[in-house]
This record gives sequence, structure tokens and C-alpha cells, in this order.
Amino acid sequence: MASAPPLLRRRTLLGGASLAATSLLASGCSLQIRSRPDPTIGPDTMLVAGDKGTPTFTANFNPFHANKRTAASILYEPLIWINPLDGELVPWLAESWDQPDPQRIVLTLREGVSWHDGTPLTGEDVDYTFRMLQDFPANDVAGAWGRIDTLEVDGRTIAITLKSPDSPALPVIGQTVIVPRHLWEGVADPSTWRNEEPVGSGPFQLGTFTALQYTLDRFPGHWQASSIDIEHLVYPAASEELDLVTKGYDWAYAYMSDVENTWMAANDANRYWFPPGGIIGLHPNHDVAPFDDVDVRRGLALALDGRQVAEVAAEGYMDEASQSGLLLPNQEDLLDPSLPERGIIGQDTQAAIAAFEKAGFTYDGTTMRTPEGEPFTFAITTANGYTDWLRAVQEVQRELGAIGIAVDIDAPQPAAYEANLSSGDYQVAVGSSNGSDAFQGFSNLMSGEYYVPVGETSQNNRIRYRSAEADELITRYRASVDEAEQSEILHALQRLFHTDLPVIALYYGGLWGLYNQARFTGWPTAEDPYAPLQTYGSSPLLVLTRLRRAQKEAS
Amino acid sequence: MRYFLQRGGWFALTLWAAITLNFLLPRMMPGSPADAAIAKLSQNGPVTEETRRAVEAQLGVPDGSLIQQYVDYLRQILSLDFGVSYAFYPEPVSGLVAQALPYTLVLVGLVTIASFVIGTLLGVLAAWRRGTWMDALPTVGGSFLTTFPYFWTSLLLLFFLGYVAHLFPTFGAFSATTQPGLDWGTVVDAVYHAALPATTMLITSLGGWVLGMRNAMITTLGEDHVTFAEANGIPGRTVALKYAARNAILPNLTGFGMALGGVVGGSILVEQVFGYPGIGFLLFNAVTGQDYPLMQAIFLMITVSVLVANLLVDILYGILDPRTRR
Repeated sequence: MASAPPLLRRRTLLGGASLAATSLLASGCSLQIRSRPDPTIGPDTMLVAGDKGTPTFTANFNPFHANKRTAASILYEPLIWINPLDGELVPWLAESWDQPDPQRIVLTLREGVSWHDGTPLTGEDVDYTFRMLQDFPANDVAGAWGRIDTLEVDGRTIAITLKSPDSPALPVIGQTVIVPRHLWEGVADPSTWRNEEPVGSGPFQLGTFTALQYTLDRFPGHWQASSIDIEHLVYPAASEELDLVTKGYDWAYAYMSDVENTWMAANDANRYWFPPGGIIGLHPNHDVAPFDDVDVRRGLALALDGRQVAEVAAEGYMDEASQSGLLLPNQEDLLDPSLPERGIIGQDTQAAIAAFEKAGFTYDGTTMRTPEGEPFTFAITTANGYTDWLRAVQEVQRELGAIGIAVDIDAPQPAAYEANLSSGDYQVAVGSSNGSDAFQGFSNLMSGEYYVPVGETSQNNRIRYRSAEADELITRYRASVDEAEQSEILHALQRLFHTDLPVIALYYGGLWGLYNQARFTGWPTAEDPYAPLQTYGSSPLLVLTRLRRAQKEAS
Repeated sequence: MRYFLQRGGWFALTLWAAITLNFLLPRMMPGSPADAAIAKLSQNGPVTEETRRAVEAQLGVPDGSLIQQYVDYLRQILSLDFGVSYAFYPEPVSGLVAQALPYTLVLVGLVTIASFVIGTLLGVLAAWRRGTWMDALPTVGGSFLTTFPYFWTSLLLLFFLGYVAHLFPTFGAFSATTQPGLDWGTVVDAVYHAALPATTMLITSLGGWVLGMRNAMITTLGEDHVTFAEANGIPGRTVALKYAARNAILPNLTGFGMALGGVVGGSILVEQVFGYPGIGFLLFNAVTGQDYPLMQAIFLMITVSVLVANLLVDILYGILDPRTRR
């Protein structure tokens, strides 16, 4: 989950309406909204729009719950911190690790780590955490026990044997957050427990909590305390887009329409950085003809202008996606150099028509006809309310219309969209795939072990793709702990992704970081991309160690 | 007596139908609660099969046949135990509703009463002084404001008075830094936060009462007993209020009873715009989160109160107007 990319999606209709009203009024009546920071917030306190009330907060700091307060993910710390930009592993509670063979992982726990109540964090806590996840599978969100066979803790050494040769299990197991045994052991059911008074090991501990706002205070006993320059974090429940613009937030994570004229115009020190976090593409259902035919998929890919789709869908903030399956430029060093144009497939209408003709289709200049002679029409499924996806589909509809293919748009509610994709009840869907962990991205999408026929549900490989070559590469990668070999297999997977087109990459979904550099400096940027500006997950743990107060003496 | 028994019978039948529909409707929505939770999670990136299994285990998504679920559901209603919410897991539904209900009852309840009283009085005035500006202003102004959708009015008020002029708070029912308690400061704070949502609902609902009352009153004013009272030299105010308005108010009173019954449903759009933690907002979250238990509890509450209000109005009518008993 730590490696999961958040993608450009608008959630509520009303949010859109209010924002539309803002920009309309801002431009039409030259009424400029400016931020008015609260003067009582000191220079050592950061205002974070990281947790949205619904509309109020319930005190749930169980880090394994889907409905937890966002800050629960930084009150507790993982063994390994994973960079959501490129999947880089950074030692966190585990100071080092080793994979002696593809079926074993040995982690060494850091010394001198302490819980917020002063109790030292030891191997017993790690042991307890994993046993608890085993006993309460509802808490095992990353599925660690789907991969672990045995786990032995001896002092600071955690020795794990995996069920099968499975070297990519390291990030899945490493992202597990550790909870204190002495406080959790007495809890009857940790999978329903709210943990209202959290005691973690993170650089911040819970300060005050009300239904509309909570604060975190710096934990002086943290193992990295010398790198933490911020005293307090404030998380208000009121973090609608208008609040972000007007209330003087230091850090926010949101996709804001027309960011130049909203966020940037509100304050001179406001900045944004939108690196790619995932690939938005067309996900054909490979169990539905004619999408099982690679020539049809290639025809679709060639008929589409990814740059134009990105421009229309993401207002030009994101680039067209590479058909290598990688996030560029984040994962530039993993890219197979033999791919033409860094894997980007440009629009070539003539070649598209040729590909369709190779698949038996005919094009008479106005209508594309299937081998049976019927006009070629199909439906693209997207989720209702994800406005950027809808704009992307409309652009796809327009571009395919130009070569005589009629596309219908089917936009069920998000829950129904998920159900349709899981059960294979669709022809082509807009979806997000890939992400920071390049291998995981390929294997979730292309591995035959996740294949289920239409009608049965699966969360992985919802496109129902089957390829002996992909399976062989995935198995080989899992059985390898050699970096050179892994890199060579990743190159082969990219080439397969590029030629066999399991999904048709359109554009990158962004990580929508907004920050203000007046009071705090050291933010990650395109020049220094050390972490994304996510306010959720473990990501802020690293960012918070790098930020510095701009005005020291004023405090 | 037969009239009241008949009303009671109809009430029981409607109640059963409503309760059953309440059971069936959420289950006819496409997608399961787990799908809704996954949709929410996948805002942050692709979700794996392992995560889906953990979510399903957390939610304990309904199993068993539909009939078994129905029997369980009826048993739960009788014991007022609505289980655990899916969208707010692991919060119990009853706790969530108990938390949200007071805000809605106070805000929407008071506004509905105020709107009825003010609107009806304005309607009386408009009918009594018909043709003058005292008629034109409330009638035309009221119908003009009523045509504005709730959310549009509330967005305008929120934007200009809240975000541009900074006169009113923009979110929530109380300040972020206060712990809600029962002291004078909290009350002032709460009233301050309720001002904009209350104004929105008041100005958009006033027109209906004004028009209803005015039209009923004008008909009554033309009746013989009013002319007779005027001919007898009874003061105009007495004629207006005691002879005309008292008779004309019946339809408006029916509407008021129904409106009061609907109060518990809250006002989804207004609560949503102002981030007001009432039943409307809760219902919105329940529906988007495919939260069957929460939806059922709220819908049941709304249905039952509307039905009860209906029954009370029916009974009241039977007492007030003997003709309806036949």
C-alpha cells in the first residue's frame, strides 16, 4: 500500500461545483481569493490539509484500519520506508536487511528506538505485530502472511522464510508498521479496536483531539529527533479546496483545477509539484473479443494521441504515459534503453488503420467494420464522478471516432465500477495501473496466477490477461536476488508491455502536492525528488525529517 | 372510532411496506460495500487482492440468503440494534445516528418552525392587504427565493459571506478548538456556526408557506361568515386572525406536520456545503459508502417519522374537521 500511487480523481460533485464557482467568480468578476493565515499559528507549527472530516473526525488511530485517521500512518513507523515515486527502499525501523536466497529475508532492527511512553521498541514488538497480523487477517492489509511461511525473532534479528522463492516480498513485508506489544497485547480484538489514545514510535505523538481538528507534537525521544525541526502539526477537518486556498495551509495534497489561478494566486509563496504516481490507461478485457487480438489493441494505441488526452484530462499538468509501464522520469534508471522513444507510442492514424486491417477489420473512410462486417463499436467503462477520467474517455471517443470507431461511455458509480472490473463485466475500462514498484505493477496486471474467468472476481489482473512469456519472466524475477538479473528481466517485461499492450497507456496520474515555502523550507521538488508530497501513508515520515523552519529566532 | 381504526390499520401496513422496501432497496444498488471501500482506497492507487480480502474480513460483508438477512434485519429493528457501520467501521450505527441527530433536530427543526410561523404570518398579511406592496413583496420575493436551489443559495452565501467577507465560519457546527460542552460560550459558538445554513434554509423555504397561506386565506376571506363579521363591525385584526386565518391554516398545518416529520432526514445539500455534522451529511456518506446498515437506520428513521407525522395529522384532521370522518 505504501507504494500505491494516488491518482487524479475528483471525488465530489459539490467540491467541483464550489471550485467552479470560485474560478468563475475569480476570473469573471476579477475577484481574487487570497489566503488569510491564522496569526495565532506560530512559526514552529505546520498546518496540514492531510485528513478530511466527514465532516467530523472519529478518533480511530488503528494503523491497520481503512478508516483510520491519516496521521496514524506517521504515529507508527514501518520497518522499511518505501518511496512512492520510484519504489526505493529506505532503512527505517529496520536498519538493514539481507536476502541470502530468494526464499529468505533477514532484517536487523534499529537500536535505540523508543515508544512515545518511553518503553524501548524491541524485537518482541516486531514478533507481536506479525503474530497479531497472522491471528487477525483483517489487519493484514498488505497481505504479509500470504507470503510468509515462518518468522523467527532473535534479539534484533528478524529471520523470515517465505512460502516460495519470492524476492519481491521484501517491500510487501517491510512496509508493515510495528505496534507496541505492551499496549496491544491486552486488546481482545485488534481488528475492531479504535486505539483512541495511540502510543507509537513516530517522530510525532498525538497532542489534542477534537471532532474538527487534531494536533501532533514533536516526540523528543525519537531516534531521528535531531532532524525534526517542526514542533507541532495541525490537522483541521475543514480542508475543502476553498479552505486550502484561503486558510494559509503549509502543506496540502489535492488536485485543484487551474492550480495557477487558484492555489498559486492565493499566496506568493505557494508552490506545487505533480510528479507521476501511476498510469491511467485503457484496460481492455482480454476475455472479450476482439480485445484479445493484439493487432486490435495496437490499432487502438496507434489511433490515440496520448499527449492530447493528457492535455484534455489533466489540464496539461501531466505527460503522456510511456508504454514501458514505468513512471517517467521517476524510474528512468529502470528503463530499457532499447525501447524507441522511451516507450512512448505516438499517434499514427495510417499505421492504426493498417493494424486493424491486419486483424481482419475493414475501413472505408467513414466506418471501421469488424471481420463480420458490422460497424465496430464498443463501450468504455469509467467511474462516475472521476471527472478527469471522463474527460480522457471523451477525448478517446473523439479520436477513435475520427477513424470510424464508435465508442459508448458507461459511467456507473465507483462501487459498481469496481464490481464490474473485478468480475470482468466490461469491454474496455479506464483504469490506473503500475506505480512505484515496477515489478509489482507488472505482476499485478499480467500474472496468470491471478487469472479468473469472467464472472469470478479478482482484484489483480482484472484485465484477464494470459501470457506464457509474462508468467515465465515473473517466476524468474521472483526467484532472483541478483540485481543485474532482475534489471534484465524488468527490461524484458517492459518490452512485452510495449509490444503486447496488455493495457494501453494514456497519461500519468499525478501526485498532487501543494506546499507553501514561506514558513518551512526543504520541500521535495522536481530538482530534488526525494519523496512525493503525499500527506497520507508513511510518506510524510521522510519529508518531515527534511523540512526546516524558515524563521528560527521568531519562535 | 372506525375512522381512527382504519387510519391505524393503514399506518401499520404502510410501515411494514416501508420497512421491507428499506431492506430491499440498498441491496439493489450495484456493487457491494467492499467494492465501495475499495473504490475509496483505490483513490490512492491500485488495490491488491490481499487488501480486498482484509477489507472484506473487516466489514464482515453480509452473507446468508436474502431471507435469512431479512429475518435478521427484522429482529434488529425490534431491538433497535442496527449493527456496525461499513463506511465508518468500526463505529456502531446507533452511535453515529445519536451523534448527528441533535444537530439536525436543532438546526432543521428550529428553521422549519421559524419558517412556518414567519411564512404563515406573512401570508395572512399578504392576503389581508392584497394588492398593496405588503402583498407583492412577500409573494413575489418569496416565490423568487424559492426558485433558487438550496445548494446554489448556500454556495453563494458561503462564498461571499464566509470566504470573501470572512464574516461567518465556513465549516462545521462549532469551532475547531472548542470541545463541545453545555456552557454559554459553546451555545454562542454553535449559533454563530448555524447562522449561514439556517439563513439558507429559511429564505428558500419561506416562500412556500407564504403562498400557501395567502391563497387559502383569500378563498376564506370571500366566504359569508367573514363578510358577516365585517358587517357587524368587528375590528379588522380580529376578523383577519380569528375568522379567516384560523380556518385557512388547515392546509398549511398539514404541510407543517409533514415538514416536521421530514426534519430528521436533515438537509443533505445544506449540511454538505457547510460541513454540518447532521443526519443529511451522514446519509450522504452512507449512500456513497454503500453502507447498508447506516442507510437502513436513517431511512427507517425518516420513514417512521414521516408516517407518524402523517398519522398525527390524519387524527388531528378527524378532530378538527368532522367531514373527513365519513
